[in-house]
Amino acid sequence: MEELVDINHIEAKVEAKDWKDAIRKAGALLLNSDDIEEAYIENMIRSVEELGPYIVLSKGFALAHSAPCPEVKRTSVSLVNLSEPVEFGSRNDPVTVVMCLACKDKGDHMEYLQKIARKLMEDNMINRLGSCTDTKELYATING
Amino acid sequence: MNNPKIQCVCGFGCGSSLMLRMAIDDILKKHDLEADTFCGDVGTCLSNQCDVIFISRELSELIVERAEVPVVVIDNFMDSAEVEEKVLAYMNPAA
Repeated sequence: MEELVDINHIEAKVEAKDWKDAIRKAGALLLNSDDIEEAYIENMIRSVEELGPYIVLSKGFALAHSAPCPEVKRTSVSLVNLSEPVEFGSRNDPVTVVMCLACKDKGDHMEYLQKIARKLMEDNMINRLGSCTDTKELYATING
Repeated sequence: MNNPKIQCVCGFGCGSSLMLRMAIDDILKKHDLEADTFCGDVGTCLSNQCDVIFISRELSELIVERAEVPVVVIDNFMDSAEVEEKVLAYMNPAA
């Protein structure tokens, strides 16, 4: 199996009080490993405020991200599922699975991002990720 | 005839538009259709030369009135049935 998301970038059953909190908690995993600076988390939140909840790409799944910027030190991805879903104001609400994507450069690491996208598009993958009960299971599901 | 150029648009041209582009590429391949796909961001997509724009519903509202090419709205980027229906409708308007 090829590891797509690092175990330190995965957390199951995260408690989030609203969509911003969900993005902050998923983003904190990238902050802890020094892949991003805190400002990038606020950029991801501002993107939703400015452009709308289009990051809720499918039923129950949000791909939080913002433009490549100096606050991204390394291209990386984090993944959480929530103990209680949150509303983004999207037709695809409520959201249980949140992925944070930080791109260092535009067009950078395309192959890696395509692999992740391919995995997420597998049948029923979002439901499976949403129903994982612990971090190990979530790790095994996204990397399986 | 040149291949149609399909621009897949998200906020920044590197995250969700990539997923949409892959979904579209899969459909084209499945139906043996040829088109060139590329990613764009909502801020600059209208100045990129293309024949059609595929975009999410929320973002479409920001560009649809100014777009000079058809704008196809996708509600669920990862729903291959929806993407398939809309790609085929664009590629085979008579069908």
